[in-house]
Amino acid sequence: MQAFLKGSSSQSTKPQKIKAAGPSGEKKQRPIPWVEKYRPKCVDEVAFQEEVVAVLKKSLEGADLPNLLFYGPPGTGKTSTILAAARELYGPELFRQRVLELNASDERGIQVVREKVKNFAQLTVAGSRADGKPCPPFKIIILDEADSMTNAAQAALRRTMEKESRTTRFCLICNYVSRIIEPLTSRCSKFRFRPLANDVQEERLLNICEKENIKYTKEAIQALVKVSDGDLRKAITFLQSVARLNGEKEITESAVIEIAGVVPSKLVDGLLQICYKGTFDKMEIAVKSLIDEGYAATQVLNQIHDAIIDASLNDKQKSAITDKMAEVDKCLADGADEYLQLMSLCAVIMQQASQSS
Amino acid sequence: MMSKLSLGGKASASKLSSWVEPAFGELFPGRRGPRSGGDSGDKPAKRRRVKSSAPNPESGSPSRRQAPRGEPDEPWVERYAPRSQAELAVHKKKVEEVETWLTTHLDTKASFKGGTVLLLTGPSGCGKTATVQVLAKELDCRVQEWCNPNLPEYRTDDSFRQMFDPDSRFNGFQSTSQTGAFQDFLLRANKYNHLQMKGDSQASDRKVILVEDFPNQFYRQPGCLHDILRSFARTGRCPLVFIVSDSQSGDRGSRLLFPKDVQDELAISNISFNPVAPTSMMKLLSRIVTMEAGTSGGRVSIPDKSVLEQLCSGSSGDVRSAINSLQFSSLNDLSLDKSLWTLKKGKIPAPSRKGFMKAKGKSKSSQNTDMLGDSQAIGGKDASLFLFRALGKILYCKRETFEAAEAPRLPAHLSEHQRDKLLLDPELVVERSHMSGELFSLYLQQNYTDFFSDVDDIARASEYLSDADFLTAEWSSRTTMLEYGTSVATRGLIHSNSARAKADSQSSVGFRPLHKPHWLLVSKKHKENCHAAQSLFISFCLNPVSLQTELLPYLAKLSNPMRNPAQIAFIQDVAHLPLNIFSGSRLRLEALTDKDPGLIDTDSENEETLQSEATAENEGLSTEPGPASSPDAGVDLPMSQPQPTTTEALLEEEDLLIEEYESD
Amino acid sequence: MSLWVDKYRPTSLGKLDYHREQANQLKNLVQCGDFPHLLVYGPSGAGKKTRIVCLLRELYGAGVEKLRIEHQSITAPSKKKIEIDTIASNYHLEVNPSDAGNSDRVVIQELIKTVAQSQQIQSSTQREFKVVLLTEVDRLTKDAQHALRRTMEKYMSTCRLILCCNSTSKVIAPIRSRCLAVRVPLPSVEEVCSVLANVCKKEGLQLPPELARQIAEKSGRNLRKALLMCEACRVQQYPFSGEQEIPETDWEVYLKETANAIVSQQSPQRLLEVRARLYELLTHCIPPEIIIKGLVTELLSNCDGHLKAEVAQMAAFYEHRLQLGNKAIYHLEAFVAKFMAIYKKFMEDGLDNFMF
Repeated sequence: MQAFLKGSSSQSTKPQKIKAAGPSGEKKQRPIPWVEKYRPKCVDEVAFQEEVVAVLKKSLEGADLPNLLFYGPPGTGKTSTILAAARELYGPELFRQRVLELNASDERGIQVVREKVKNFAQLTVAGSRADGKPCPPFKIIILDEADSMTNAAQAALRRTMEKESRTTRFCLICNYVSRIIEPLTSRCSKFRFRPLANDVQEERLLNICEKENIKYTKEAIQALVKVSDGDLRKAITFLQSVARLNGEKEITESAVIEIAGVVPSKLVDGLLQICYKGTFDKMEIAVKSLIDEGYAATQVLNQIHDAIIDASLNDKQKSAITDKMAEVDKCLADGADEYLQLMSLCAVIMQQASQSS
Repeated sequence: MMSKLSLGGKASASKLSSWVEPAFGELFPGRRGPRSGGDSGDKPAKRRRVKSSAPNPESGSPSRRQAPRGEPDEPWVERYAPRSQAELAVHKKKVEEVETWLTTHLDTKASFKGGTVLLLTGPSGCGKTATVQVLAKELDCRVQEWCNPNLPEYRTDDSFRQMFDPDSRFNGFQSTSQTGAFQDFLLRANKYNHLQMKGDSQASDRKVILVEDFPNQFYRQPGCLHDILRSFARTGRCPLVFIVSDSQSGDRGSRLLFPKDVQDELAISNISFNPVAPTSMMKLLSRIVTMEAGTSGGRVSIPDKSVLEQLCSGSSGDVRSAINSLQFSSLNDLSLDKSLWTLKKGKIPAPSRKGFMKAKGKSKSSQNTDMLGDSQAIGGKDASLFLFRALGKILYCKRETFEAAEAPRLPAHLSEHQRDKLLLDPELVVERSHMSGELFSLYLQQNYTDFFSDVDDIARASEYLSDADFLTAEWSSRTTMLEYGTSVATRGLIHSNSARAKADSQSSVGFRPLHKPHWLLVSKKHKENCHAAQSLFISFCLNPVSLQTELLPYLAKLSNPMRNPAQIAFIQDVAHLPLNIFSGSRLRLEALTDKDPGLIDTDSENEETLQSEATAENEGLSTEPGPASSPDAGVDLPMSQPQPTTTEALLEEEDLLIEEYESD
Repeated sequence: MSLWVDKYRPTSLGKLDYHREQANQLKNLVQCGDFPHLLVYGPSGAGKKTRIVCLLRELYGAGVEKLRIEHQSITAPSKKKIEIDTIASNYHLEVNPSDAGNSDRVVIQELIKTVAQSQQIQSSTQREFKVVLLTEVDRLTKDAQHALRRTMEKYMSTCRLILCCNSTSKVIAPIRSRCLAVRVPLPSVEEVCSVLANVCKKEGLQLPPELARQIAEKSGRNLRKALLMCEACRVQQYPFSGEQEIPETDWEVYLKETANAIVSQQSPQRLLEVRARLYELLTHCIPPEIIIKGLVTELLSNCDGHLKAEVAQMAAFYEHRLQLGNKAIYHLEAFVAKFMAIYKKFMEDGLDNFMF
């Protein structure tokens, strides 16, 4: 459950956490969020991202490390990978001196890039560790969520990157590589992190369940994998939430679906069936009850979208419907009423479906 | 009030002497003369007020009249200031009105009734001051005028301070003291009779106090003025005349300084002047020209009649500006540049607003000349439009048929969008109305329904209005989009009225009254009520929507003695809807008059509406059998909420609505 | 004498009338010791607030029920003063930050900072954190939501947030992922009925099941509304009868009449009358989006098949505009006018078909 503190950048809060945990930590052992607890400790443990692992391993064996740019959907292990690598490179003592981590939540305007990053980069470092083992003579600056940096800040970074290349390696982490300016991407080796395959994810989850002594059904784990869309962090977070809410009881599929806020597919299918075959009045009631159940319209929209894509409609119908979906999504983002928007979407689906028959 | 320029001019003209003069002026009749009457010769550039140089009774020796006319550089405005009623370009009736008022109130002086106040309003340069001056002279009474004192900060010399007490170092002479000085002035002017000096005529102990400048403080706190006026009304002994210039650019001086309730309370008579009619203006200008031609001997070129007409129209009824332009245009060395004056030959613009006042149903040809595009290059006033007229232009949207050749044809499938040529430029109309586009759209929205007959048209029109609001929704781009929004609103409205698509098919909708928009008031009340609801019922810990739509309406249906009086009152007011009384009763339609400046005095309006609301509420309660809202009624008493059948209620409403409109 | 809604509000998780499973889960959560940020969402009248208050009581004991209303004034960096009302106990603080309009960001930051930094007054409470309850989070500006995300992390050690909203659609993903989401659906008709029956029993009243069912259906499963309705029924007539007419609020009746007016005649004149009625509703604190929703519901029942689809589209379109635009009346009026046009055409076409 502690995963809530973390969210998309699980490492981001580390410095504060250590500080904050100081006084209270003595009173009581705080449960560690599972995302932290089961974060890979070394590069070998990183699941599913073979290319990156290979490059990092080489560097562990003594080769130089290039500037890195990790991109890919959330929860695929970008932050975990670089942190594991850094820990292996420097060991626990040097780690804090040698690694600077900045994420979007930190103040990260152009001024910070100029001062904080520069100051850190200018410190020179030795090529050996306290315990005598050799370690690379450079520091690592991790810029998490780099795609939310302003363009000006990114531009300021490229000069620093070149100037300090002797002593510092940068690791940029982002979801969308298209939001990183060209000069920066060309200075880094890019690695794409793929969404985790279902079996890999399942294996990890089962592993955790075992260690945490959780009773589960097979369907529950499959549901977890399904709702998390290849985002392992999300899956682990949900798992912890469900475990906490259910106490000693077995984890069931419905509990997982509930916690994820996903609309049961039965309801969505029912709504679509009414759109295809039923009357407007029935549709009105169905939409109303969906809203009354408290489901978020955006979630419903997403699930309808998946269903429509697979539905047996012709392309013209699908495009008309998805066009309307885009509009509805925009309107919802603008704060329009969920009921009215869903109604209008369903009306379009109905209209399109009736044209084929 | 005076326009800014002339105000400044006056202030500087009276810089040195004016401060104490109002109170002590009579002590120095010798000094007073040159200031009020003859100083025009000394400071020709600064004194621009029309005809204000009407000789002051005290100073006016008959010979003065000729003397200044000899000076060639004197502004004609001064030189040809009217000396008698006959010379006034003001409409006879108005002069008579003022005269009647003056005579009645001057004569009742003996029987002490308290001070009486007259308020003269009208556009600048229509002869308000001149009328008072001339009449005062003819009625043989003195005019004592208030001039704003200068604030000490602006003074460099010490003479001023020495006048008081050189030893006491008082600094921080604040604006409130201007108010004090004003009060002092009124008191003294009222109390002390003019000192009888040797040689003064005995009869002139009658006097009128004239106030044209208002201390700035009054604009900030009109209440001060009202208090002073109240005390004046009690103790005053001579008539007091206020002159306030209206201007259409939203200067709401008269409404701010003299709101209706104060006017009623103090029995202030209000005489409103119209702009000088073009015929009298023509007469006046020709007179000046002939006189000038006689005296100048070639120094000035005499403009011909068409130029005079142009001047006349360009000034939109402002005598002062017309005479100034005349003088300027007839200077020899400039006259070669005639083309400047007649930029657009052939089209003689009828001054827009005068045209309107003359006749509402003007012939098309005169509308034709009324195109807004024409204006004078020099000396012409901006042909600004009164809101009433501007709205009319958009809503009536005059069109003319195309010449057969140039008519663009739309393809058949678009033929429903075929429109004849517009006779106006909507953007220009809005610009000239001196209003923000947003506010203008609100006025349009309030009034457009009357001009449409087809539901499809009105649906389209309302859609355009919605589009316009949507365009300006984004806060960051609003400044840019505002103009487009207005364009969409006005043009959309014009285009969608398909009944008026053709020049010849423009059936006369007849005169429709225009009204002020309700929206501002409604949204203000909405916000206020919501806010009040939340703060009054905060203990229920509800979010606003459920509070307003669920809890409050049901609280009104229940009888729960735990509420405090404020809550009870609020529930009575807000949670009940007048189901069986006329629905429009809360929102009185406020007709827009032809000269309305178009800005909404929300405060006063609000007050009025609150009152009317209160009465409406009371009526509602008294007509409802067994008011469900009464919180004191016992729990056992069944609360029946009368629910009339819908049709009945609607019928009733319809009748009432129609009546309401007609009465407007 | 307080309203039934308040009088019979359950005060502990164990006493909640419905969604018992969820109540148990929340209990588990409290007993776990460490408590995450919560995001409670669900339609109005589902009992979110009740649930939260029960949860707080479970966390802190009866002390949370001693509430005081505080009027806070916060000075923004721009020197602008913001006034806001808060409801607080020794352990928690409740605020509706959207009251502050565009300054909601400052309000959130300042309030949470104050709460988080003030040390726990009593060591007797087992919790090392206080709770800040933010209502109507979905109405926060994006700016404020981003600020919230940062604040959540920063003060995690001394302060937990419970966010309350109607829908998570308008809550940004980073906040959703930092919170444990708890969905509170509306109670079913049966559940509403049983709550009504319970309340009436406690009041010593006989409630015929038919009437309970009618109330439940008419309230649209909104429990608060159902209880208010029931109480209004009591005022209207007792003993209850099964066929008793359930009192509707004035504005709902008024809105219905307005819809009837639109359907019965379509003319510019009628539009003007409708506008006057809309103004009337607005001055009576009925939010424009509620008006348009109410109108749609009424109007839809008055038209046929494909016209319904069209009306639904229109309503969605103009309601969206309503949210974005400045002056609601333009959009409300455009909706009404548009409906009139469509409806009139539809009726005329229908008439033509009938004649030929």
